[in-house]
Amino acid sequence: MTKYMQGLIVQSATVVIAVAGMFPMTGLTGMVSFGQAAFMAIGSYFMAILSSQLGVPLLLSCVIGVLACVLVSLMIAIPTMKLRRDYFALMSISLNQAVGALILTFSSVTGGAIGYSRIKKVPNLMYIALGIMVLSVFLVYNFKRSRFGRMSLAVKNDELASRSFGIKVYPLKIKNYVIGGIFAGVAGILYAFQTRIIDPSSFDWSMSSELTIFTFFGGTNSLIGSSISAFVLKIMPEYLRNVTVFGQSLQIYRVILYCILIIIIINFRPAGLFGEWEPTTKNLIALARRAAKIFRRGGDADA
Amino acid sequence: MGILQLLINGISLGAVYAIIAVGFAMVYSILKFSNFAQGGIIGLTAYVAYFFHTAFKTPPSIVLTILIACISGTLIAMAVDALGFARVRKKNSPRVYYMLASVTLGMLIESAVTVRFGQVTLGFPSVFARNSFSIGGLTLSTRDMVILAVSVVLLVVLILLIHRTKIGRAIRCVAIDPTTAKLMGINSATVIRFTFMLAGCLAGIASVFLAMKYSVYPSLGSSMIFKGLVGSVIGGLGSLSGAIVGSFLLGIVEMLLVYYLGSSITPALVLGFMLVFLLVRPQGIAGSIVQDKA
Repeated sequence: MTKYMQGLIVQSATVVIAVAGMFPMTGLTGMVSFGQAAFMAIGSYFMAILSSQLGVPLLLSCVIGVLACVLVSLMIAIPTMKLRRDYFALMSISLNQAVGALILTFSSVTGGAIGYSRIKKVPNLMYIALGIMVLSVFLVYNFKRSRFGRMSLAVKNDELASRSFGIKVYPLKIKNYVIGGIFAGVAGILYAFQTRIIDPSSFDWSMSSELTIFTFFGGTNSLIGSSISAFVLKIMPEYLRNVTVFGQSLQIYRVILYCILIIIIINFRPAGLFGEWEPTTKNLIALARRAAKIFRRGGDADA
Repeated sequence: MGILQLLINGISLGAVYAIIAVGFAMVYSILKFSNFAQGGIIGLTAYVAYFFHTAFKTPPSIVLTILIACISGTLIAMAVDALGFARVRKKNSPRVYYMLASVTLGMLIESAVTVRFGQVTLGFPSVFARNSFSIGGLTLSTRDMVILAVSVVLLVVLILLIHRTKIGRAIRCVAIDPTTAKLMGINSATVIRFTFMLAGCLAGIASVFLAMKYSVYPSLGSSMIFKGLVGSVIGGLGSLSGAIVGSFLLGIVEMLLVYYLGSSITPALVLGFMLVFLLVRPQGIAGSIVQDKA
């Protein structure tokens, strides 16, 4: 496998990790954040600066990066989670702006707009990234089926009713947001290892909205759906590199393509491509049966 | 620079934010979602205004440019409504989809503009014969003062429209409860469409002011929509008067922060200001709809 291909796979894996982290928040609890890239930035910058400038061991600096994400997400969550969900969405966007501004302000440490490039090399990055990706999807999948996940679903559907059943809504929402921050931090660290240079513009709000778009494209109620759609949508534009429209590579139109796709989804299939489908044993057997039926019918037609 | 000078500049900056925030608050009060597509509309109309204004040998009167921007803003807002929101409304989908559609459309317009015109900053030609004048020791920029005056007139007209006319009353009714308003014989769909158009028209006017103030570049709209958004959060989501007061406050605070601490750190401090504000007074200056209705 070429190095380029490996890099692509790592990038797609990071996106899947961040999207899986958004799932408890968006899919289960119904809060939409447009600022997850801010946590990617926080995690990666903390990791990079601690490990390269202060000589902290690599693994420890990764952990500190993730802890920083936890702290910041608590800071945002505590004042906003008691309010309407709109306030939360607005705050998440401002967070993204604020993190970018801080990176630019302290440019003597962070490298400012030029970017920070003294990032240590990690061997076998692709396997690590794929491993973390599988692990995080597995973890979040179990979240969905756990008591915690069911409580979150109840909050999404009716906050007042779930409160009357004894669910503590406010701490639950905070927890969901912090989970999202942790996964996004891990994704950011992997992203930094892959690109080996990070700058504020790679974590701006278009990155955040990209993550949200991936989640909704696959279906907010289907973890597997949104993960698959994130992986495919991230990797797809690379295959369109050689296709040209109006004399420009189709890659330039990447964001436009995403936007058109999601507008089609909103208008015609609001539940997302996968709806609520998850690969449970029952669903997989049903799928296999249907496939067998189609296959058999195809055989009959030939005969 | 004296403190009075800073205050006046802040108020003039706040006036532009107020126009954006009011468009924001109007849509929020009716459909209960934050319309980020407004940013895309501002960005695109700024380009329309720029190319209209520089297309002629002798530049046309700025009033004509504002009129053109206003019309194109309205048209773009109608297109955005038809593409993104009409079906969501018809199907009664959850409110999240409005928000998603508005973010997507904002991003779509911005990236389309970037692909077409590139990441270039286009300077809007100077409109006034004299760039500044002085009264009693204060040096005032002609541009800022004209913007302030026009904005204030516009806001007054808008408030009169909302509180004194028939369509304004209909808008307020739909904001309280769209279904009941419909039962009382108000055509909710038309009122909603009218609100979108009005917000688009305001975005058009704001875009010309912003182009004059900052010049034209692809992310102009999205960077400015954050200001309107902060203004309306401080004022209380969905309240017009709150949004106006909040925007003026934001303009003054921002001016002071930029002057004393520099412009690069200001977004972070504004976030801090907003967080503290929400902790102390979550409903904003005038807001009432704070918690999720179950």
